[in-house]
Amino acid sequence: MIERMLNSSVAQWLDERSGIVGMVRKHLLDYPTPKNLNYMWNFGSLAMLVLLLQILSGIFLAMFYKPDAMATAGGYTVAFDSIERIMRDVNYGWLIRYIHAVGASAFFFIIYMHLGRGLYYGSYKKPRELLWIVGVIILLVMQATAFFGYLLPWGQMSYWGATVITNLFGAVPVVGDFINELLRGGFSIGDPTLNRFFSLHYLFPMILVAIVVAHLHALHVVHSNNPTGVEPSKKGLIPFHPYYTVKDLFGVGVFLIVFCYFVFFNPTGWGLFLEPDNFSPANNFQTPAHIAPVWYLTPWYSILRSFPDKLLGVVAMALSMVLLFFIPWLDKGRVRSARYRPVFRQMVLLFFASVVVLGYCGHSEPTELLKTIGRIATAVYFGFFLFLPIVTKHEKTRPVPQDV
Amino acid sequence: MKRSHRTTAVLGIAFGLVIACAPMAVQAEEGGPPPLKHPHITMDRKTLQEGLQVFTNICMGCHSAKYVTYGDLMRYPELGLTRKQVDALRGSKSLLAGLTTDLTPADAKMSYGKVPPDLSVITRSRQGPDYVYSILTGFEHDPSGRIPDGFYNVYFPGNHIAMPDPLTWFHHDPKDTDHIEEQARSVASFLAFIGEPHQLQRETIGYYVIGFLVLLTIVLWLLKREIWKDVKH
Repeated sequence: MIERMLNSSVAQWLDERSGIVGMVRKHLLDYPTPKNLNYMWNFGSLAMLVLLLQILSGIFLAMFYKPDAMATAGGYTVAFDSIERIMRDVNYGWLIRYIHAVGASAFFFIIYMHLGRGLYYGSYKKPRELLWIVGVIILLVMQATAFFGYLLPWGQMSYWGATVITNLFGAVPVVGDFINELLRGGFSIGDPTLNRFFSLHYLFPMILVAIVVAHLHALHVVHSNNPTGVEPSKKGLIPFHPYYTVKDLFGVGVFLIVFCYFVFFNPTGWGLFLEPDNFSPANNFQTPAHIAPVWYLTPWYSILRSFPDKLLGVVAMALSMVLLFFIPWLDKGRVRSARYRPVFRQMVLLFFASVVVLGYCGHSEPTELLKTIGRIATAVYFGFFLFLPIVTKHEKTRPVPQDV
Repeated sequence: MKRSHRTTAVLGIAFGLVIACAPMAVQAEEGGPPPLKHPHITMDRKTLQEGLQVFTNICMGCHSAKYVTYGDLMRYPELGLTRKQVDALRGSKSLLAGLTTDLTPADAKMSYGKVPPDLSVITRSRQGPDYVYSILTGFEHDPSGRIPDGFYNVYFPGNHIAMPDPLTWFHHDPKDTDHIEEQARSVASFLAFIGEPHQLQRETIGYYVIGFLVLLTIVLWLLKREIWKDVKH
């Protein structure tokens, strides 16, 4: 059927003027892909699906949402009211909002799995350094997008979360206050902040799409890595269609089951996706007992909290993200996949563990014990980057297969 | 492979320990309020209508639920009020008006020291209907004697609550216990319902959606297996 479509007169007409048929063949149908990719390679296509879902649901939410912090009856605001109207009066508004809220968490889960897979199988190593870098940029843009979006409901956690995060920029020497006021549009979080965050929350996904195109372009120049980390011979490659189209579609099915379980049966995600505190309207006179960002930002928040000095904490947090860019050069090993690198494998697993522990600590109320655990996890996190060049230089690797 | 499994297991156990111990450490350090009571919340029409009655007769003396309009009381099939019932309830108020109290914020502040919160999403912003139920049946004598009777609530953070015992739980006649508990349970159910009025519809649709997706995924899995048959590893 696809052949018939590509040979149709319409497709041919388009092809003569755009080269579309050739592109579809080269990048979708005949695109050579290693035959041994495991299910960890499904997260790339899933990430694109969720990005699309987020943009679509977001467009519809924006038709009803009002970025206005003016007070209304009952201690609420126009913004908070508009979201409750979406939940109650817009036809299937609750569904659109839950798709968007659960989608945000799903997006981060998928991206973290995707990054973790790249790290474990050495997908960042030559010649895929640029692909990796663009990926890390995607993560940063996503985090910014999510942060802007979380202010919009104008609940307690929106307000105080934004206060805490914008305060971080105040720690920057000399220009800190300037950046802080620029972000907020005033001396504290208020109506101007809400308006600009809404604007940016709509802008950033567009940027994200552009960077994703760059990421895909970079991928299609260097092609996919695979679990062995070995460059496949002709025999090890199969066309993307039908093999990976059907495998990705199966992955989409599994994902949608989990996704829809949350949307329809657990939309607040046990209070992790939509936090209880955010159903209380923002109140600048009352600080919540415990302020923490949403789960997907807590590992970095935990690193920040591990340092008694604010500036030091901010620097460490920034460093924890920036270091990701340098992994392709910090890793001196020749072998890519952790399968054949016993020491690296342990290191990378410990690194994953540290991120999860950091996330847990950042989400919970800071007790002395948790602070200590958080500090140890922070040390492990940075230890990974510190020891990466040393260990990988001298690491004894296992024999690597000839082909995939 | 064996070795790697062992590593994963050790890591897993280490994780589990951290995650399991942390909340215990939190609880050991604070002497917070006791765990909430756990009533049987139901969203049948009888319970919801009883809860609405408790809400309009008692709670609405001070509290509002402004996101729920009088018209909604007919519109939501779960509540299923008739036009007559709604008319009796709303008096001269519009069908588009929310369930708001006649107590002005200024008067409330004067009488109780603070403005009572709107209850539209109270079960969502606190720990669910359990919280509402526990507060309503949590008025006791302060063991330390500092907080006057009727303002000491076991489940309220800090124990000193501005709301005077609305269901007269404190000092109630033991033979009224069941009645008051049922009032608290029905109004907690009602508030849980109006916190998200489409929740029952959401779950009903959810079963169909998940059912369809499971079938679709099975088909995709079979298709995948068929197509991949000729790929040799």
